[in-house]
Amino acid sequence: MAQTTTTVIQDAGARVTVGIFTQMADAPAATAPSRDSAEAALAFLAEMSPDLRGAAILGSEGEILAASSGKPKRWQEDAAALFTAADAAEEAPVEQVHIATEQGEVFAIRNEGLTAVAVTDRFALASLLLFDMRSMLRELAKEAKS
Amino acid sequence: MPAKPHRVLLDRVSAYADEAAAFMRRRRVARRPFARLYYPNGRSADHAQDTRSGAELFVAAGRLIEVAGKRPKG
Repeated sequence: MAQTTTTVIQDAGARVTVGIFTQMADAPAATAPSRDSAEAALAFLAEMSPDLRGAAILGSEGEILAASSGKPKRWQEDAAALFTAADAAEEAPVEQVHIATEQGEVFAIRNEGLTAVAVTDRFALASLLLFDMRSMLRELAKEAKS
Repeated sequence: MPAKPHRVLLDRVSAYADEAAAFMRRRRVARRPFARLYYPNGRSADHAQDTRSGAELFVAAGRLIEVAGKRPKG
């Protein structure tokens, strides 16, 4: 049963990846930030968040700008699948996602046309991490516009 | 003989710290997995694991946790 559900999500993610990331709460950034600045922002986030296991930043088309592990394609697909499931839950685009499981916690946020996804240990400080992620995306978008 | 004032203060602080520690212990034990979605209008919604939408969210989260791997030590 669980296997079937996974397949459905992946199929949906592949079909509508671009659509998912353009359904932003805020106006998308005019141009995407550079990969270097996205990587620097991600490194800064990792430094500030001791519970962080991994994270990724995606552009407005759902493309990976930076990912903390060596599997950018997986981050892209799995982030798309997460937002597909989240948007489908109430048929409205979500702004933030927080899922806590026994294995860890997942945070995702869409802001200024960009998307950030982070995975942490259990009992991470949710509001602090979401604040840092939102600030990070805001700074990246500001840099892209200037 | 009444206790010295600083002892009273220390005991009170210790009692509060013990309460807080016990609260955190209970929270760790009792906290169940959850999936919470936040919308642009400020609304938030919880989705239980045994619902269809909740199950899909947990599967998607599980895959992200898998790709993130374990936290590097040190």
